[in-house]
Amino acid sequence: VNRSQIAMEYTTLANGLKVVIVPDTSAPVVTVGVYYKIGFRLEPQGRSGFAHLFEHMMFQGSANAPKMQHIKLINSSGGLLNGSTHYDVTNYYESVPSNALERVLWLEADRMRALQVDDENLRNQRDVVKEEVRVNVMNQPYGGFPWLDLPPVAFRNWANAHNFYGDFADLDAADLADVQAFFKTYYVPNNAVLLVLGDVKGDEGVALAEKYFADIPAGAPPPFADSREPEQKEERRGQVEEKFGTLPAMAVGYTAPERRTTDWCAMALLDQALHGGRAGRMYRELVLEKQIAVEADGGIDDIFGYNGPTQMVTRILHKPEYSAENTLAAFDSVIGDLQEHGISEDELNQLKVKWRSDYYSTLEGGRGGMPRYGLMHLLACFTLFDNQPQLVNSILDGFLAVKREEIQAVAKKYLRPANRAVVFRTPVKAATKEAA
Amino acid sequence: MATRTAPSPTVVPGLSPERPVTWPKCTKTRLSNGLEVILAESQAIPKFHGQLSFRSGNAAVVDRGPGLAEMTATVVRTGTKLRVSRQIEEDLRRIGADLSSSAGADTTGIGFAGLSELAEPLLGLVNELAREAAFPEPEFERERRQKLEEVKLDRTQPGFLASERLRKVLFGEHPYATVAPTESQVAAYKRGDLTQFYREFYTPENALLVMVGDFDSSTMLKSIEKVFDGWTGKKPAPHPTPSPAQPKGRRVYLVHVPGAVQTQILAGCHAITRNHADWVKLGLTNSLYGGAFNSRLVMNIREDKGYTYSPRSAVNALRQHGYFSVSAAVRNDVVAASLTEIFYEIDRLRSLPVPEPELADARNYLSGIFSMGLATQDGLLSQLATVALNDLPDDYLETYREKVRALTPADLLATARKYLRSANMQIVVVGDRTKIEDQAKLFGDLEIYDAQGNKL
Repeated sequence: VNRSQIAMEYTTLANGLKVVIVPDTSAPVVTVGVYYKIGFRLEPQGRSGFAHLFEHMMFQGSANAPKMQHIKLINSSGGLLNGSTHYDVTNYYESVPSNALERVLWLEADRMRALQVDDENLRNQRDVVKEEVRVNVMNQPYGGFPWLDLPPVAFRNWANAHNFYGDFADLDAADLADVQAFFKTYYVPNNAVLLVLGDVKGDEGVALAEKYFADIPAGAPPPFADSREPEQKEERRGQVEEKFGTLPAMAVGYTAPERRTTDWCAMALLDQALHGGRAGRMYRELVLEKQIAVEADGGIDDIFGYNGPTQMVTRILHKPEYSAENTLAAFDSVIGDLQEHGISEDELNQLKVKWRSDYYSTLEGGRGGMPRYGLMHLLACFTLFDNQPQLVNSILDGFLAVKREEIQAVAKKYLRPANRAVVFRTPVKAATKEAA
Repeated sequence: MATRTAPSPTVVPGLSPERPVTWPKCTKTRLSNGLEVILAESQAIPKFHGQLSFRSGNAAVVDRGPGLAEMTATVVRTGTKLRVSRQIEEDLRRIGADLSSSAGADTTGIGFAGLSELAEPLLGLVNELAREAAFPEPEFERERRQKLEEVKLDRTQPGFLASERLRKVLFGEHPYATVAPTESQVAAYKRGDLTQFYREFYTPENALLVMVGDFDSSTMLKSIEKVFDGWTGKKPAPHPTPSPAQPKGRRVYLVHVPGAVQTQILAGCHAITRNHADWVKLGLTNSLYGGAFNSRLVMNIREDKGYTYSPRSAVNALRQHGYFSVSAAVRNDVVAASLTEIFYEIDRLRSLPVPEPELADARNYLSGIFSMGLATQDGLLSQLATVALNDLPDDYLETYREKVRALTPADLLATARKYLRSANMQIVVVGDRTKIEDQAKLFGDLEIYDAQGNKL
């Protein structure tokens, strides 16, 4: 079996900044990322949505690159840039022709050193973020379903259960003092990893990291709130109104095992057995065979990218002629069958081949036109959560070693009503007749 | 402001000399049955991506039934003479492969990706789908019912409603006017319509096979010849359609969605196709206007005014007729203000030459992101397929960056005047009429529709 082994340099600067360099000279392109170990899970209470709003503020200006300069410098170098806020990390990344590498490092260092933003910038980005929430959630059929709907039902710890995109009142309450306090607390080099992937030599990459980032002073180790959940003892259910869509929907989330355990590997393959596209049991049973549902898919989202409680989620849109309880019963029979009979050796082998193939694609895949995003994301998370970027070369082994009995055992242990939450998203209006 | 005390370099580092792009090893050939094949090697992972395209899509048969090519492509994967639906899906998983089958206005495509070590079984399945699809009656019925739910869902999405209305307005009687079938059109599909489309258009003379990935091209070519051996079929007869009349004068179309908390703006006018001599010029003009983060429109209505999260403009390259469009989902109370800025930025590009430094930035941008688009297997695949499907010159990719770099402020001014036809832009707004009607009608004669397409 052909295996991809990724060669890398991994070092930590004196100020605590971790640095990962992955040379690849196949194209004159380089992708740079800076990941900070703070996401929306641990944003301040009373400031829901703040980690994401803050991410926007990081594009609003730093000491030597005022507003518009950051974007302008990257685009005019022939590059693309973006940022995204996740549960436990926030990233900033750029892909550029490799002749612009130093410029990108300079920009990332400048904003790690000193964010320089004013009230006008904050007002502007608060408006932009509200339109983002409207376009993705409030003005879309099934917007935010289920990623914003399930957590408040499933979890009891505010960290896991709040509105990650932000209540507008909380966004309005956020001020410049919050911005600078958050920056000072979490955006310190000792809470971050710098990644450079592509057209650069390993030692050159490390030397450039030194050159641009070494003089940024370390901060105090950031405090992290406890995100553990109290033990769940009963099934939890919730209701949400669907304003635009006309099909009833439901989502079922089972809390997943702790990451990097044997159970977690088995759960990942079990997830594939249930949700692997048209071959997955959920789609096959609910959409293809019983024809109760129009959509039935899901999984553990970004399985390598979180560091706290998470769920394996099934998202179902079903036909109005089937009741929610009937649909849930059909869902339960798929789960029950797995618990009772497990899976065959043949199915397990299929799942493993597909998992391996998908893993390679993750390593190679880009995002938004930026190559190597997938590999960067895994390296960053393994560095910040495990201090082991090299896990990209061995994490696959655990999944390929999963046994049939383990899949069935995990199905019994985790796919229990007392370990799940169910949210029903119910349309407020019925379908209207089309034009003649 | 949280300034830390360490000294900071205040000068932006310059650009070092550019490294040349190394072009992947690329093989182009045509099999004796007429199938055009393009192979490019890219060894980043032990996988490959492929696409078998047919140069016919929904527009070719709109008179027989809108969306018929898409429905055909959907049912193609549900059964062959040798395998039932479930076996197809499990076989794909067994070889670690992904497969999609769909159709747009101009092209039908079977896209696939899989492990290099299992390339031949995947090619074998693609071959079966292209030649021996069985269109099982129950699968057809199920997919049709599924499609009925999808077209209903589409009508609840602002983005869909906007593009549907704009295409109707721009293309009138032309097949491009239809982006999706209605419920009754779906209900009228017959299995025989699908098999007829399949026989007529799924032929090697009408096909293009592009593969990019970790393989040896000469070995892969032998596999392809073996797998697709004996497949025959003619190029379908051309299906000429009269050019659509281009709408004159600004008009506004409001699609009323009661309770909408935001307004989707989409405005557009006719432009050019990808093989037009001005394509690169218009691409650069678009990138300056609203095609990049650093563009004038984004800087204006997002970064300065905060009206919207995601403004953008695009040149949409349908094969027979292209069109230029600009879109933004904006706050309900700034619909008129946003349209004012959208037209201000268009008119500015039409009135004043772009300053040379700004143009240089835009040239660098377009040329740089082009190289990045080639750096993944599926990125390269999509570029190679675009060149072949649009009959672009063989050296199109290799010379693209030079063409971008040669453009001057005078070129851009002429291009903006010629194609960003501000006075003829058709404006669609999707939102709650009680919140936006008064603003919308400031920009031209107003027609109002509901989400089902009924004129109100």
